[in-house]
Amino acid sequence: MHAVNDVNLRIERGEIVALLGPNGAGKTTLLDLALGMNDPGEGTVAVFGHSPREAVSRGLVGAVQQTGGLLADLSVRETVVMIASLYREHMPVDEALERAGAASFVKRKIAKCSGGQQQRVRFALALLPEPDLLILDEPTAGMDVQARQEFWDTMRAEAREGRTVVFATHYLQEAEDFAQRVVLLDRGAVHHDGTVDSFRSASTHQTVSFDWPRTTPLPDLPGVTHLDWKGARVTAQTHDSDQLARVLLTETPANELEISRGGLEEAFTALVNRSSEH
Amino acid sequence: MNLTYTLHDFWRQVRAFENMFFIAILPAALFIMFGVTQGWSDESSGHGNVSAYLMVSMAAYGAVTATTSIAGSAAVERMQGWGRQLAMTPMGTGGYAATKVIVAMTVAVVPVIIVYLAGVLTNSVMDDVWRWFATAGIVIACSVVFALYGLAAGLLFRSDGAVSAATGLLVVLAFLGNVFMPLSGSLLDFARFTPLYGIVGLARYPITEGWVVSVDGAAEQDSVWMLLANVGVWAVIFAAIALFAARKATARK
Repeated sequence: MHAVNDVNLRIERGEIVALLGPNGAGKTTLLDLALGMNDPGEGTVAVFGHSPREAVSRGLVGAVQQTGGLLADLSVRETVVMIASLYREHMPVDEALERAGAASFVKRKIAKCSGGQQQRVRFALALLPEPDLLILDEPTAGMDVQARQEFWDTMRAEAREGRTVVFATHYLQEAEDFAQRVVLLDRGAVHHDGTVDSFRSASTHQTVSFDWPRTTPLPDLPGVTHLDWKGARVTAQTHDSDQLARVLLTETPANELEISRGGLEEAFTALVNRSSEH
Repeated sequence: MNLTYTLHDFWRQVRAFENMFFIAILPAALFIMFGVTQGWSDESSGHGNVSAYLMVSMAAYGAVTATTSIAGSAAVERMQGWGRQLAMTPMGTGGYAATKVIVAMTVAVVPVIIVYLAGVLTNSVMDDVWRWFATAGIVIACSVVFALYGLAAGLLFRSDGAVSAATGLLVVLAFLGNVFMPLSGSLLDFARFTPLYGIVGLARYPITEGWVVSVDGAAEQDSVWMLLANVGVWAVIFAAIALFAARKATARK
């Protein structure tokens, strides 16, 4: 049993890539390979042309790891000062704290920080070597909506500086809002790799909705998988919206027709469900 | 080895009251109870009085408590995620180990200073000044053996609780190792095989020259080679367990 298998990814400088997938899809394993925390049984991993460990020790990579622990009895500032001292060259501690949004609670003990604040401290640590590549494993886990919003605002600023950002998430919204490219991972394999739009259109679920006169019974409609009739509005799910629309507009009294591709959410669910049928 | 990191880590250990209570305050209190205020305090134990003899004993107990708890918690903190933070920096395993050994040895100096200060200010007497420094130096140097003991406990059981238990067990080992009160007869014969006997025997050597202080007045002398053998054998045993546990820990990962 392999946690990840036959994964081929090439990520260019300056890209913002979301690694999306349900729990146990192999996201963390893949990121661990890129960080040199794990060695692949077969195949190669290269980061800026170096081995992952070499890239990490050169300070080319910064990471917010899901399991990266902090020492509870240190203050925020002490934590950053200690880690900073290990690098030959690093961003000034105050700047890292400022950019990570941790400047307002530097004296607080780690044990007394909220989950979101601890993530900010981890982020400050990741920024210290001024890395070209940021790897974030579920960076907003444990944050409330507002903290999550603020965190991604910070990340956008870092991305504008030209850093490559690869992040794992199971929040679709995060992938949609922040990434230019989405890699959907499912049970250790790449399921889809492309822009957010291409990801959405890979979904074959489409919705056709239209107004229908209450008194007239609905005829048999072609290719409909699910039908919902509320008041005057009918919503039909289909794999072939063109055919359904053609029939509705030419042969029936339907009007106010609307066709939608379905959200990322549906696309995600559809892709993952389809893969589990195989 | 990194000075900023080491100093921060040292300060972090020293300010933790629950740590320092067992490392420095308890040994000092035990010394004052048994070494200073008892009728036997001013009697001779060789090149010093009984008070000085007990001062060395309690300092040794404090020092091994320090190295045990710091090495043990180092193993645990490294396995619990802090190791992954460090893995993102240029500091390797060797650098981390060196830093922790220095922190542990430096913290081990604290109980020695406090207990010796208590001895100087009360009634501890040694024949020569160098004996003070010799005993203190041996205590600190030998306490490294118990860093291996703490490391083994931390690596084997991977929890702070296990490290606390290992530190607590030192009280028992100290009794069995003839550290706290003078043993005699078969208990003393058994004591010679326990891990604290060699360390405390070596530390007291500049005072006792190996003569065992006993309640019943029986005269027995330990050779310096026997004491060294005790320390050496236990160092090897603890190192072997730590190595075994470290291998097991990496294999599981």
